[in-house]
Amino acid sequence: MRDGQIFSARLNNVVTTEREFDELVAKSLPELLDRATGQTKRFLRETNQWGDDITHEKLALRWGYELVERFVVFGRTEVPCRPFFLLDSLIAKSFSQPDPLCYHKELLTPVGRFLDGLASRAVVSRDALIALFYHFYGFSQAHVVKLLGFGQAESQRVYKNFERWRQTGWQRTMNETGLSGSEIEVLEQELRTKPDHLNHEVDRLMPVLQSHYRKSEPEHYPCLSEQKWGQLFHDDYGHDYRVWHLAFCRDCFLEVADRRQAEVSSGLKPQVNLHIHPLKKGGVLALFGGDRGGRHHGNTRAHRLSRTSA
Amino acid sequence: METPELTDYRAHLLDALDDQPRRAGEERPEFLQVLVNHERVGTLNCAHTDPSFTYSARERSIQHLEIRNESGVLVGGCVAPEAGQKSVRVPIGKGSVAIEVQNHFDGGSLKLQYAAAPGWWSNLASSIGFSSATSSPTAATTPVWTMTTAFAQIVLAVGVVALLAERVPNWLNAEDRAHQLEEELAARQSTQEQIDRVHQQLAQLVEAQAAAVAVSRSEQDRIAQLNALVDTVALAQQKLNTQVVSVQEDLKTVKTDVAQEVETGLRVAVNTVEADRELVRQDLKSIKSVNETLIKQVALLESRNRELHARLALTSLEVTKANAAPKPAVVAKGDLPKETPMATPVADGIREADRQAFMFWVAFQDGTTEKSIEDLVQELNGIKKGPMKSGWYSVEVNLPNPEPPDRFLESVKRAKIVKSVVTSKAMPPAQ
Ligand SMILES: [Zn+2]
Ligand SMILES: [Zn+2]
Repeated sequence: MRDGQIFSARLNNVVTTEREFDELVAKSLPELLDRATGQTKRFLRETNQWGDDITHEKLALRWGYELVERFVVFGRTEVPCRPFFLLDSLIAKSFSQPDPLCYHKELLTPVGRFLDGLASRAVVSRDALIALFYHFYGFSQAHVVKLLGFGQAESQRVYKNFERWRQTGWQRTMNETGLSGSEIEVLEQELRTKPDHLNHEVDRLMPVLQSHYRKSEPEHYPCLSEQKWGQLFHDDYGHDYRVWHLAFCRDCFLEVADRRQAEVSSGLKPQVNLHIHPLKKGGVLALFGGDRGGRHHGNTRAHRLSRTSA
Repeated sequence: METPELTDYRAHLLDALDDQPRRAGEERPEFLQVLVNHERVGTLNCAHTDPSFTYSARERSIQHLEIRNESGVLVGGCVAPEAGQKSVRVPIGKGSVAIEVQNHFDGGSLKLQYAAAPGWWSNLASSIGFSSATSSPTAATTPVWTMTTAFAQIVLAVGVVALLAERVPNWLNAEDRAHQLEEELAARQSTQEQIDRVHQQLAQLVEAQAAAVAVSRSEQDRIAQLNALVDTVALAQQKLNTQVVSVQEDLKTVKTDVAQEVETGLRVAVNTVEADRELVRQDLKSIKSVNETLIKQVALLESRNRELHARLALTSLEVTKANAAPKPAVVAKGDLPKETPMATPVADGIREADRQAFMFWVAFQDGTTEKSIEDLVQELNGIKKGPMKSGWYSVEVNLPNPEPPDRFLESVKRAKIVKSVVTSKAMPPAQ
């Protein structure tokens, strides 16, 4: 802790070069994280969003982490500066935005935190964004490509997304979300024993989740009518639109997937169908074989969820 | 709270932060995702023949820019001032991205230009610590680059001196009040000059309008002339806006009394400008023969005036807030691991943010007395900020236990005398 104090003092002083900034920051990560986490806790307390339990502690850590991540990258463009002062002003700036953090009581359960972790990652990572189609609906890469109506080059990209997600992205997201191995195991267990119950819960939470994270969607990406979607596919434009909006909007997804069922040819009625772990290699088979932990749907067809139910 | 699970999680996060520079350099930049104010706005394709990306934002300026690779790793970005510009070059992979942000209050534009690494740049960059990778094997092992390194250090030294000259005094001499005062007076002086210029423009406008009335047959010429004048005024106002922000920025380090003085200066200036504008507005109203084009121009000018002057008022307000003596922290003692001297301003920063969240504009029913307005404001524990503008009052409330603003505003709306409530922070809503 002695070192910590030395850095603490240095973090209050002016840093004049990028190199100095990088070096100091690399040595002071624990202090920076603790400071950002402390500020986040304070913010949660002051806005009556705090509870004295491990879930809240984890949330504060997670958001503190995200703040420090940005600080580390942005800070280099702000030298000369006082690191602590800069961190504090970044934090204050972040918290003065409307609805700066996704905090909803319903999302504090393990499944809620799982979904929240995925969605918040998907805002910044295309790998995670593409993976949402699998985790939420069980769509393999081939299905995703067909659903989105992609050509050769973009398909390659989708496969790459799936691969990177499978190799490192998923695990990293779980780690950064603070879902422990045992928590994930419990979720898998529940999905095996009570799939309908859990899927129903996912269906219920999706609007909460999506309405928060769809904020990160530019205004010019609104929901489209069935006819407009049809036109967009027919005239072959708005590829980015398709990925982004359909991954984050259940209602439009179900509508488009239904409409394009012939193309997608999954043979399944599109519906919410949670998958915890990423698609294994050769996942097209897995989708039909149902050998993944998450899939054990004896009565898949019976459990149709209304697309309009909230 | 300290459990093995939490300790473990914290360790994971620290590892991830530690690993960040490596991961940022790991993936070859291909498609870079661009996020503005946490919204994904598009993709910069580095493989394209012209790897550039432009974006313009309406309503909000570009304050927060993130560049991430496809797997989501933050590889670059910056924060930009609410008004004004920022240009930086950030290393990404072996190349770099030049970022240019140009902000005004209600929008901004962004230009990104990716440049694959020319050899000299990456080596230069890594030798002076520009690259996010901590060490570059090339720089470490190739003696050819020793010269470059030496050169780079000279360049760097010159650069730093330039930076010091430009920026460091603000930070280093924070205690040096006399010096600060000087700077602030200079800033104030230049603001005053800007305001004077606006005065002049307004005077010219009035003259032009008088002329327009006198020779109302040949309107076309004068309208063109007026257009030009209005543009000039708009430009001057734009400049003034920017100036006010930089004053505000400078003031952040100044002690309260100085700030108060400057604030008073600003307020006086604002009032004078306001009075002049009122005159202009009345004159304009009395001109009957001005044709429709002219009327439209005037309306535009008026709305700009309103906007500017609300901003000036708000700015003075923020200047005071930013400089108010730190109040003792009310909450969460012992929450932070160490209470450093910097902690108080932060607490203030956050509280300031809270307070801002509760600034709103309110319009009252026709015929509402000043007294009942006062009563309502008092009932809300609020403070009226500045005089009424075009029927709108700006009110700031500071609730001990903040309710969600929506619910709070709902309750305000329910008051009988209230006609309308709006939360637009910067200016009274246009009518
Ligand atoms: Zn939310
Ligand atoms: Zn939609």
